[in-house]
Amino acid sequence: MISLDRASLRYGPILGLSPTTFELPEGGGITGLLGPNGAGKSSLLQLLSGLLPPSGGEVRVFGQAPFRNPAVLARLGLVPEGDRLPSGLRADRWLRMMGELSGLSGEALKGALAGALETVGMADRAHLTFARMSKGMRQRIRLAQALLHGPELLILDEPFNGLDPEARLGLMDLLRRLAAEGTRVLVSSHILSEIALLTDRILLLFRGRLLAEGTVTEIRQLLDRHPVELRLAGEPLDLARWAVEQPELAALRMEEGAVVLSVRSPRDILPRLQRAAAGGQLPLRALDPLDLNLDAVFQYLTKDHA
Amino acid sequence: MSAGPTPSAPSPLATLRATAFGYAPRVLQGRGWAVAALVAVPVGISLAISAISRLKGLDMDPAEALRIFHDGLVKMMLPIMALVAAPAGIREDLEQRTLPLLLARPAAVWAYPLGKGLPWFLWGAAWLVLGALGLQMVGGDPSLLLGRIAALVGAWWGELALMTLVGLLFKRGTLWGALYFFLWEPLLRIFPPFLQRLTFTHYIESLAGSRAAEVKTHELLAQEQVATHPALALLVLLAFGALCWALAGWKLHRTPIGLAGSESEG
Repeated sequence: MISLDRASLRYGPILGLSPTTFELPEGGGITGLLGPNGAGKSSLLQLLSGLLPPSGGEVRVFGQAPFRNPAVLARLGLVPEGDRLPSGLRADRWLRMMGELSGLSGEALKGALAGALETVGMADRAHLTFARMSKGMRQRIRLAQALLHGPELLILDEPFNGLDPEARLGLMDLLRRLAAEGTRVLVSSHILSEIALLTDRILLLFRGRLLAEGTVTEIRQLLDRHPVELRLAGEPLDLARWAVEQPELAALRMEEGAVVLSVRSPRDILPRLQRAAAGGQLPLRALDPLDLNLDAVFQYLTKDHA
Repeated sequence: MSAGPTPSAPSPLATLRATAFGYAPRVLQGRGWAVAALVAVPVGISLAISAISRLKGLDMDPAEALRIFHDGLVKMMLPIMALVAAPAGIREDLEQRTLPLLLARPAAVWAYPLGKGLPWFLWGAAWLVLGALGLQMVGGDPSLLLGRIAALVGAWWGELALMTLVGLLFKRGTLWGALYFFLWEPLLRIFPPFLQRLTFTHYIESLAGSRAAEVKTHELLAQEQVATHPALALLVLLAFGALCWALAGWKLHRTPIGLAGSESEG
């Protein structure tokens, strides 16, 4: 569906995206594009959505170069960052125009309009002008315009920015539903926890470079030299005594009522820990993986490349 | 949502129609009424003065309509209308960063400037026609009415298209447009014939009749006024406008415009 072959993007003297190579296969699912501000997420999305041509290399979406290519654009939907919409227009009329600009007309347009508004939960408020809408409502309308023509690929740039928690959860549910129905969703964010909740596949960008791709676990496995921190609550001396005998142990820190272990290969040590605790050899009350999450992965990777 | 078949790209005509109808409500908002007022206010004041004069039994100077047409509408209001309306066209989407929403559609990108400009052209043209009709009541020569309407509408088409193009070519398009209208055009009288033909005023006067005031003796550099056949003058205005719309469309189609409204080095 998507392939980049050493694709890069420059803004004059500034490198927005270093030569990047990756592929996304056909079919539904959510891919998260993760990185801090300025990492190159928007640059990559602009290449994929055909807004900008690559400065070098090649970008292919549905097997073709997307820049000003109607054959590609008819199959993708874009929700750019922010909540900007043309001033002074009514949402339903603007959406009708966007539908027509996607090649819809007549009953197909009516059906698509009603379906998109229903999907984003704005069917009863689409008669409002954009000026009278909240940020969350405008974000829903922006999503509706991208869904009108039933795109196979949906690209969203920082869609959670500025949304309240309820709206975020609602948008996540919607994206999961679309992915389950067969739409490939590519969503960028710098909010790590949200991406971790949402996606089954992650592309990690930093300073215009693609650092890693895969699931959180796969990415984590790449980081053998970065130990995972586990907090074991219980009798600290007994826990420490058991821990120092484990070959995966990289470091140990005593805390009140707990020890914090740095271990290299959690997949190996965790079953042994479980068996020891179940067999009564280890006075373990609780196990808390401190950094086996996306934040830790992100911190490790970006620290290496900073 | 993705179950249905993917629609095909709309034709350029469908793109034009969709954008023109989609953005038409914009002309009924503040900026649209400002454009209307630029015609309605000077003509309305003239009509009011004319009515008061008649009530007092006085006759209006027949040259008054000619003066309002040339000095008011053509030299002042028409350029200001273009300077006010053009930024509400495709330039507005560029500045508000809503252009990516349009550029990500499978439509004909080159048709967007004209599609967004058409409602403004029709709105302004309607008020200019009303203004020309209003001038008849002040005392305009009836034989020149059609010429005046053609001149105003033709020049409005050309000036709006020019300003739309300039707005896409330059960041400070309004400034460059203002310099053209208010520095270059007034030099018409001292221009040799070739340069006279590079002004809107030349074609407007060729269509609507001579300029309001005669050349004064102190205007030592004044050149002899040249004229173009009215039909040819109208054709030039319409063709120039069409060329500017086409160039604006070409510029938009060729220029990579990203989410921030900036260009990349493609």
